[in-house]
Amino acid sequence: MSALELVNIRKRYGNVETLKGIDLSLASGEFLVLLGSSGCGKSTLLNIIAGLAEATEGDVRIGDRSVTGVHPKNRDIAMVFQSYALYPNMSVARNIGFGLEMRHVPAAERTQAVEKTAKMLQIENLLARKPSELSGGQRQRVAIGRALVRDPQIFLFDEPLSNLDAKLRMETRTELKRLHQMLGTTIVYVTHDQIEAMTLATRIAVMRDGQIEQLATPDEIYNRPATRYVASFVGSPPMNMLDATVGDGTAHIAGSLSGVPLPSPLQDSAGRVREIIVGIRPESLALAAAGDSGLTIEAKVEVVELTGPELVVTSMIGGQRLTASLPPRSQVAVGSTQHFSFDATALHIFDKATGKRI
Amino acid sequence: MERRSLTAAILVHLAALLLLVVILAPVVWLFVMSISSTPDLIAKPLHWWPETVDLSRYGVLLSSAVNSAGQAFVASLFNSLKVAGMATVAALIVAIPSAWAVSRTPAVGWSLYAVIATYMLPPVALAVPLYMALSWIGLLNNVFGLALVYLTILAPFTTWLMKSGFDSIPREIESAATMDGARLDQVLRLITLPLAAPVMATAALFAFLLAWDEFFYALLFTSDQRAKTLTVAIADLAGGRVSDYGLIATAGVLAALPPLVIGLFMQRALISGLTSGGVKG
Repeated sequence: MSALELVNIRKRYGNVETLKGIDLSLASGEFLVLLGSSGCGKSTLLNIIAGLAEATEGDVRIGDRSVTGVHPKNRDIAMVFQSYALYPNMSVARNIGFGLEMRHVPAAERTQAVEKTAKMLQIENLLARKPSELSGGQRQRVAIGRALVRDPQIFLFDEPLSNLDAKLRMETRTELKRLHQMLGTTIVYVTHDQIEAMTLATRIAVMRDGQIEQLATPDEIYNRPATRYVASFVGSPPMNMLDATVGDGTAHIAGSLSGVPLPSPLQDSAGRVREIIVGIRPESLALAAAGDSGLTIEAKVEVVELTGPELVVTSMIGGQRLTASLPPRSQVAVGSTQHFSFDATALHIFDKATGKRI
Repeated sequence: MERRSLTAAILVHLAALLLLVVILAPVVWLFVMSISSTPDLIAKPLHWWPETVDLSRYGVLLSSAVNSAGQAFVASLFNSLKVAGMATVAALIVAIPSAWAVSRTPAVGWSLYAVIATYMLPPVALAVPLYMALSWIGLLNNVFGLALVYLTILAPFTTWLMKSGFDSIPREIESAATMDGARLDQVLRLITLPLAAPVMATAALFAFLLAWDEFFYALLFTSDQRAKTLTVAIADLAGGRVSDYGLIATAGVLAALPPLVIGLFMQRALISGLTSGGVKG
């Protein structure tokens, strides 16, 4: 049985189509992350699942029951909002218990449930306070608690960490992961942060222009991106994308004399298209030792940045930029010409016209 | 606070003092007039402070003797309270749902602008139609009739004010309550209205003042003690062959008291109403 199923969801605002046919099926206990830049329709999709917005076309099924036209309160879902959306006029305890209060759960039972949830989130000592007396991180915990206490079929998270500072964001991320592992709940999580997506998700749906560009596990999204867009969205620094043409089993990088011999499994398929894009992740590149017989690429070093754990080297190859993440103690001189080596399996080849992986 | 030079500090305090004088001088003068004896009031040169303090006019206006000036004044005081009170309550009852609807449904925002447009008409343009309408439904010289007329003035104003109040409450809070299982009426009652309380208090106070101070319609649509309001009663005091300016001033002081009391009671709510935008949910 699937916990959540979306069938051909479309949403139009006037002439603008923000969702162009979303199909998705989510098993119970999955952590799905909707990843995309702003305006890709991910929040609209979440609101449609929540029932805060109605799809123009298509069907939403929760636990094999169609909920199209069903009021949000009858969908058995809980949501955590980006702005926390706590009730400022109520204490933390009442905030958490509000959903139970509305469902006429007896007061004693309610108090017990609120206390249990508060304990789990380590906010027992805050129960009597008002939201205005809490820090951002504490508010976020209360908002999560308010969703947890109801034990719904599906949790929805709308960019819940984007208002937190970097350190707190990391802690809360780990906390969310722990909660998911502990409770085994089904979660749909919207974010534009690829790190959050990679670390939290059991599956990621990368969205673009109202469509799902790729729906796969984090591992697959990173190692086998289906399109150029997915490849450039996930990973930091982003994947190098070099324009190239194909000839004689070699990809000739535009604007340079360097050629990358295509490994045999890629040769056949790439042979059909002349204009391609060669993608290499910065972390797949290494400094070539003298006399390295493997695959290398030559580039002129322009900027060297030490981030701490790694040395990010930006260099030019022809007119195109090539970024490499190297070990921090690498010796690279600005202005020098360097050979970078890489493994044939690290290459991602995309069709330039369609952006699809070859 | 940033450091300021002595000159700047003096200038700021002088400016504040000037503002205080400009605002308070007429009120103080009104009070001085009300306790001055008649010879003090008509003396030349003017006596800024009376030689004899005369409180008798307060007694005159608050007496309940039959057919006295006091009886007419007290009756008009109660009429004013009734009319302004009813109109304010009715205006809030109308304004809350309509303001919420306009705030949450921008698509119908034009209707509020249409209503506000009627505000542009000078009251005199509406006087005749309103008179005929009131006469037709038999509510001339009636507190209910006058309250109904005031409602047409207050409702657009309170709706406008409440709309900006609702606008400042994030929709996500209402969405969260909806997902938590609250019906629309529960969302409004438990979440939105408590959060909008300061704005509601501000709207109520200003609506009350607007109705309390209204003169033109009250003069046209009321004719005797059954419905005459304070503003008209005060004008009546000046309308005779002999005008006792001290008595008019006394009536003015007494007329200012009820709004003042309400204002004091709602002070806390008012202040937070004026700064509600600064509070983050």
